[in-house]
Amino acid sequence: MEKEILRVENISKSFGGVKALENINLNIKEGEILCLVGENGSGKSTLIKIISGVYTADQGDIYINNHLYKKIKPIESIKQGIQVIYQDFSLFPNLSVAENLAINKQISSGKNIVNWKEFRQIAQRGLEDINVSLNLDAEVGSLSTADRQLIAISKAVMAEAKLIIMDEPTTALTQQEISSLFRIIFELKKQNISILFVSHKLNEITEIADRTIIFRNGRKVMDKNAKELSIESMEFHMTGRKLMSRNLQSSKDLSNVSPLLTVEKLTLGGKFNDISFDLKPGEVLGITGLLGSGRNELALSLYGVLPADSGSVRINCSDVNIRTIQEAKKLHIGYVPKDRIRDGIFLAQSIENNISANSIDRLINKFHLIDKQKKETLADKWINDFSIKTPSRKLAAFSLSGGNQQRVVLAKSLANEPILLILNSPTVGVDVGSKDEILNLIRDLANDGMGIILISDDIPEIIRTCDRIILMQNGKVKNIFLKEEINQEKLNNAMVGKY
Amino acid sequence: MFRKIYSANEFVTFIIILLISIFIGLINPAFFSIASIFDVLRSSIVYIILALGLLPVMIVGGIDISFVAIGALSAYSTHMLLINNGYEGGVFLYYIIACSIGIIASFLNSILTTKFNLNIFNVSLALYIMWFGFVRFFVGSKRSATFPEGASNFYSKFLLTVKDPFVGNSNLHISILFVVIIGLVLMLILRYTTFGRGIYAIGGDRDVALRTGFKVNRILTGSFIIMGGLAAFAGITHSFLIRLFDPTMFLGDELDVIAAVVLGGASINGGRGSVIGTFMGVIVIQLIHRSIILIGIPVTWQDFIVGFILIIFISIPYLKTIIKEKLVDKKVAHEETK
Repeated sequence: MEKEILRVENISKSFGGVKALENINLNIKEGEILCLVGENGSGKSTLIKIISGVYTADQGDIYINNHLYKKIKPIESIKQGIQVIYQDFSLFPNLSVAENLAINKQISSGKNIVNWKEFRQIAQRGLEDINVSLNLDAEVGSLSTADRQLIAISKAVMAEAKLIIMDEPTTALTQQEISSLFRIIFELKKQNISILFVSHKLNEITEIADRTIIFRNGRKVMDKNAKELSIESMEFHMTGRKLMSRNLQSSKDLSNVSPLLTVEKLTLGGKFNDISFDLKPGEVLGITGLLGSGRNELALSLYGVLPADSGSVRINCSDVNIRTIQEAKKLHIGYVPKDRIRDGIFLAQSIENNISANSIDRLINKFHLIDKQKKETLADKWINDFSIKTPSRKLAAFSLSGGNQQRVVLAKSLANEPILLILNSPTVGVDVGSKDEILNLIRDLANDGMGIILISDDIPEIIRTCDRIILMQNGKVKNIFLKEEINQEKLNNAMVGKY
Repeated sequence: MFRKIYSANEFVTFIIILLISIFIGLINPAFFSIASIFDVLRSSIVYIILALGLLPVMIVGGIDISFVAIGALSAYSTHMLLINNGYEGGVFLYYIIACSIGIIASFLNSILTTKFNLNIFNVSLALYIMWFGFVRFFVGSKRSATFPEGASNFYSKFLLTVKDPFVGNSNLHISILFVVIIGLVLMLILRYTTFGRGIYAIGGDRDVALRTGFKVNRILTGSFIIMGGLAAFAGITHSFLIRLFDPTMFLGDELDVIAAVVLGGASINGGRGSVIGTFMGVIVIQLIHRSIILIGIPVTWQDFIVGFILIIFISIPYLKTIIKEKLVDKKVAHEETK
């Protein structure tokens, strides 16, 4: 039998009467890639924190290398070779690669004097161990997310990790970076390091998992070898219901409808070039492309954030010149930003204030003051329509879960009654259940006559939802695919240039 | 290597010094003389010591203004204590007592910011007002120009004396040596000790520093000790150079010192800053203060010019991104024509 690195038995944990974990049993073998899957709030992070010693379980046992721990402290967990790579990577942005890599050893050895030559050697060896080369003198803050992740992994390996826990490691990575991350994970596996890979991106899990465990509402609902699992059955176990993975494209023939939006030769220096396309009411148009393809800038340009240098935009056949967000809003263009937390929501403000933020101009009384009644009615309507789970509209937005926050962001845009809605990666970081609801909502909106631009690099999502797909590359339109002529593989290949 | 030097903020500061010097020298060639170099250096000595003291706290990510009050408190109290007890010895005891007072006073900054977890600037704002009030109420409000016999000649202890054809003898005070020693020691601390790297680490990300195992509170306390000790050192040096102990010395100088540290490449948000940069930052400001009169610009314009240069300097990161974007645009345009 293979050696077990970690086994947890009957772990339970409650927070204020709410059970976060109930009787969890799991084990990880040496050199195994175990994927832990579950929706937001299913207890994945709680388990990570118990294993790493941040939380103490209410009951249950933790065995590390067959040694029993009733309680484990963070420092013991690290000593036993368990390393967690959090999403922020725990690096110093202002220090060099070498220093970031070597600093742990410096501190644990208790030395007071820094030997820079030794720092570089330690760092060099650390990177070589995972077959990576980076400029040791580069400042970490100037590196890409992928490179910073490599440093974090290298740090974990240098700390003599036997088990590396990665919490949603692919969230901010591009397709290519994800592939190279997977190569490194396989390399670690060869070195007999176990990986606990926590994610909710199911297509990635099928690619790397040896075994997959699924959590739902704090319980383990499945534990199987990866080969026996299909994406559909994982979705079923995660959500507890059968998701309609039916295609969500339009059934109507739109060829005779006059376009809602026509973009011609739109250009913004250095960002995108000579972009032309049209969008019909009731249509969902997908725009995809690698990072740096100009898709984000194009979206921001249509919303007045980055006004274009040249080219024309027509809405319902009349020329418009969108130079500011205010103008875009007046034309009833809605935008759902990519980074929900940073650009889409006022976390400390009430749900009500968030929902009404975009349409505050319409909520005024005859004295030109904000009409409280109207505002509350509006908020209640959207909380109701979107089944946002909250006891009160007066609560701050940060009290909501990720999926519910995303609904508030959508409600905020929709409250302004857009005729054209631009969604930038609306399902990043939300679980499959909420994702399904959001995509269905997008289709419903389109069916009601709205024109929708969906920007995303989630290929299955785009294929499933969009009527037409624009592929951008280096700021230009590379292809426009009709829904009939495209599938996942073809789009994937076109995207990375193997066409 | 060259790229690294070129892209550093210190390099920009160096260029600013060069440009100002050339500009002044072109208009008034008398500026290119040992005398004016000595003059700028002499007026920089005290500010460099103050700025070097502030540097670790700024790298940690805090802005402190109380250091000038600590400097005044330590120097003036020491003087009154020694004079009132009939001390007739040299400057050594002055420095020892004042630095001790400065270090003890700095513990208040560290306790409030580490134990009570208060914001560094808020604490320093309160202490700035409090210490200047304290020294005038409890210690004394009169300036004192009486000096103990052993210390009365200290102001004329020169390291170098150079004969200048125009202005006669110009001298460089011995305390420039203190500056060099303090600068070297601080440089070594910041670059080659775990404590020093901890200062940068905390400025980069305080939570990560805690998680990594840096003793964050101890490092903060250490930074405040450097600040308090050097502020007191600067207070004594200043008073001997101008031959006057003033309970309100340095009042209002804190912003000039912060400006100098920023001009030296330190970031207001922490994580950046160097001894060499700070040194040059002070020189820039003193150069303007001392030399502007040489080119016929009224002295009242000094602060305007310092502020203007500061605006240019802090806009550099923004200008850099603009230039970079322009270059990318050109590249794209170039590739298109191909």
